[in-house]
Amino acid sequence: MKRKVIAFVAAALLAVSSGSLFANGSAEAPATEQKVTELQLWTWRPEDVDFYNGLIKQFEAANPDIKVTQNAIKNTEYNTVLASSLSGGSGPDIFMGRAYGGLLTYVQSGYLEPMDKLYPEVKNYSKGALGGASDSDGNIWGLPAVGQTLCVYYNKKIFEENGITVPDTWDEFLADCKTLKAKGILPIANGTKDGWTVETLLGVIGPAFYGPDFFDDVVAGKTNFLDPRFIGAINKIHELTPYMPDMYTGISYTDMQTSFINEMSAMFLGGSYEASYFKTQNPDLDFDIFPIPGTKASDPKLVSVYADMNWVVNAASQHMDADKKFIKFLASKEVGQQIIDKLQMVPWTPGVDASSSPFISKVLELQKTSTPYLFLVGFRYQQPTGSSLWQAAGQGFMSGDLTAEQTAEQVQKGIASYYKPFQK
Amino acid sequence: MQIKKKTLRKFGTVSFFVLPALIIVITLIVAPLLMSMFNSLFSWNQMVRLDFIGFDNFKALFTKYPYQERFFNALKNNAQWFVMTMVIQNGFGLLFGYLLSRRIAGSEFFKRVFFLPVLFSIVAVGFLWGLYLSPNGLLNAILKATGKPEWQQAWLGNAKYANNALILVNIWRWVGFPSLVFLAAIDMVPVESIEASLLDGANSWQTFWKVIFPLIIPSLTIVFVLTIIGSLNVFEQVYCMTGLDGSPNFATDTIGTLFYRTAFGSVDAGNPEIGMGSAISVVIYLLTFCFSLISIVTTRSKEVEL
Amino acid sequence: MITDLRYRHASIGQKIFIICSIIVMSIYVVLIIYPIFNMFISSFKTTREILQHPFSMPSSYSFKNIRILWIDKHFGLYFANSFLITVVAMVFVLLFGSMASFGISRYTFKGNMLLYMIFLSGIMLPLKAAVIPLFMLIKKLNLVNNRLSCILIFTGMGLPSTVFILAGFMKSIPKELEYAGRIDGCSDVRIYWQIFMPLCASSIALVTIYNAVPIWNDFFFPLVFLQRDSIKTLPVGLSSFFGTNSTNWEMLFTGLSVAILPMIILYLFMSKYFIKGMTAGAVKS
Repeated sequence: MKRKVIAFVAAALLAVSSGSLFANGSAEAPATEQKVTELQLWTWRPEDVDFYNGLIKQFEAANPDIKVTQNAIKNTEYNTVLASSLSGGSGPDIFMGRAYGGLLTYVQSGYLEPMDKLYPEVKNYSKGALGGASDSDGNIWGLPAVGQTLCVYYNKKIFEENGITVPDTWDEFLADCKTLKAKGILPIANGTKDGWTVETLLGVIGPAFYGPDFFDDVVAGKTNFLDPRFIGAINKIHELTPYMPDMYTGISYTDMQTSFINEMSAMFLGGSYEASYFKTQNPDLDFDIFPIPGTKASDPKLVSVYADMNWVVNAASQHMDADKKFIKFLASKEVGQQIIDKLQMVPWTPGVDASSSPFISKVLELQKTSTPYLFLVGFRYQQPTGSSLWQAAGQGFMSGDLTAEQTAEQVQKGIASYYKPFQK
Repeated sequence: MQIKKKTLRKFGTVSFFVLPALIIVITLIVAPLLMSMFNSLFSWNQMVRLDFIGFDNFKALFTKYPYQERFFNALKNNAQWFVMTMVIQNGFGLLFGYLLSRRIAGSEFFKRVFFLPVLFSIVAVGFLWGLYLSPNGLLNAILKATGKPEWQQAWLGNAKYANNALILVNIWRWVGFPSLVFLAAIDMVPVESIEASLLDGANSWQTFWKVIFPLIIPSLTIVFVLTIIGSLNVFEQVYCMTGLDGSPNFATDTIGTLFYRTAFGSVDAGNPEIGMGSAISVVIYLLTFCFSLISIVTTRSKEVEL
Repeated sequence: MITDLRYRHASIGQKIFIICSIIVMSIYVVLIIYPIFNMFISSFKTTREILQHPFSMPSSYSFKNIRILWIDKHFGLYFANSFLITVVAMVFVLLFGSMASFGISRYTFKGNMLLYMIFLSGIMLPLKAAVIPLFMLIKKLNLVNNRLSCILIFTGMGLPSTVFILAGFMKSIPKELEYAGRIDGCSDVRIYWQIFMPLCASSIALVTIYNAVPIWNDFFFPLVFLQRDSIKTLPVGLSSFFGTNSTNWEMLFTGLSVAILPMIILYLFMSKYFIKGMTAGAVKS
């Protein structure tokens, strides 16, 4: 008896569900009389869903014949989901694309519509912006969206209370750390459990020591990673370990953020993308940024800069006219202004006024003396990327398992396995 | 004639039972897997398939610098997963399964609780155990409180301990599974056989090895094969707790994570290398297949028919 | 019963063994209960609280997060989708899986081992490896953005291990029971449904939990195949709390606490099939 009841319930469930399954499966038919074009927009920033929905609303108000649907996919899964959709011949109309090598993989697979064709004004963007959106022949494939700068965040209150000022030389910086530590304050929040934060460390500290020319030299193959400039820079990172948390090899990115946000540490070495999260988590946190100083006060204070993201259009999109309109909207100054005001990020849009945000103004100020973010900009085109090599070797270095020379060798050997200029 | 009709009938019956599952598994699982493995014989430019190159990808995997080093390093970590899971997880599983089947005090309660960790989503497991094992976490706090502060470690950040820590968390999560498999198997052993053995004067230890153990060998095969498959396909646990690169410095890298980041690429690791990734998947597949087969054949020869 | 391990009648050695065993099992119980407790209390905290004081009690208790989650973030809908997909996929897995196990383990025929290996080969690699060919297949079947795509994939994912485990158990069922059924004139279908299925109750319960949990928790395939908001599943909804540079832990924990409940209920319901005596009694009679 009981079994019959179960069988009946199962059968009923099956009938009901399969009915509704198919009903919902066929795309929900647009019921409007007027022909509405539906655009699919994919992003890898689930935390900014509301922001992009706001933009979409503004766009739809101006273009009532276009409807844009946003789908935010978890960053770490984004590439895989996108790749399987695109190679299956579908996918979104417009989506966030990575920069540099991460963008070119889609270009070389033929999945992208040239941006200079869709939006010729893209040529007016700055050189730094276009570097992340073009191929080696100078064709532009994406609309540069935001750029990032790596620097040191510091807690103004803690600095003032302990009589510390922004350092002008590396020795001053170390002395500041020492003072803080002596007073029982954790000077630096950073740890090395998450590999990519080790790359950030290099991005913040490295440029001041390997100098402004190293990037071009190493990319051109005039030198390699065994260069004393590079090894010297890595050694500088190690000088910070006494001022990092106990057992910093186990400190994750989230731990670092928590410690700085809750004023448990004085400094945080990170990217300009952190500011908005810091502010939302602790509105009372009074922080500012500075670049890592060089050996002498007169040395240029270099920061690493990179293009973070491009808006790109799927070559298989059926709605090129609507795509064009939306790209034009994304390139507008109003959108650029909102990126500054609401996301606290630095848009590449030419001619946007950043004076409304002191933080962004400061970032732009730092950007004036900058060098490209070494591995991301120069060596993320093939596997193993410079980034993954450095992240792993850097962890070994920071934990004391590898010397600076061994670390540099591990990176050099990995890149030389495919990088032509190193094979000469 | 009679015989033919009988085999035909048997064929029909077996088909009726087996076909629905077979069709689904072949079309949705086996075929796509074979198709993706087929890709290992080609060279690729990003996501576009180019020329047929035979076994060059495999040759590179075993001999060429970055691949070879990464592959054997990952394989070594998988071996560690296998050994520790086999010994610790299945050892405890057998013990727990036996104790539960012998209705030890509290067995009803234990039975209900032991499987709960499996119900956790891996996201929760990764985050919570990440907290417990972090430098300021619970484990270090306990060590400090019990007067062993010198034992404190950055468990997941130290190349010496990270892989073991991941394996132990996984054992924490899964030990309920072999326990319940063995419980179900021992419950199927006829009570009379056990009673007879005990009344003959054998102690529990002898009874277990002489009477119970031979009869639960089919379940042993199940557990062994699933352990082999599980430890060669480790992915989620590493991905959630130490990342796709198996940090620190590849100490927790496995062939599963190596495969995933090679085949699909990642933000940091770079662009997909589909041919190479497929070659790794073929190797995982062959390894799993061979080891499972060995395990099935060796345990089957020891099986006792009731 | 003499077969039970009871403290009262035990020898000294056995007593030590029993006590040690109970201590070990109790420690394990604590290691299980604490994280669950930790997860539930975290759903009452703010993200900042969770990260700053992960082990403390929440400063206030409110169900605000649940309301936001269930209504504003559409988790009611996601929950219904997940439930539908899991239930239908599990019905397929158990029905087809037990049928196939019966066919493979109780009939001797040529190719028996081959069939077994085909099923086994389905568990040897994570299906994620084949997501691109799978996408093309699903697209050809015109099932992208259709819940049936995930139901079929999950059924396919669950079947190999189900067949593997159930066939192993069915093999150890004494042949006499089958012969008895045949002498009584039972058809093959009735032997399968009325004799074997009840005998396998405990292993079916095991397989149910073993497969339902990964299906319920999987977010990868729904993420790839179900891109419209109206058909998304619970784990996909949860994944949207992971930002690129920040994670909304308070909503995530609220969501995780909600998501684990159906599995705990299912498990507690199923665990009664593990109670000794049911299967043993059946074998005896």
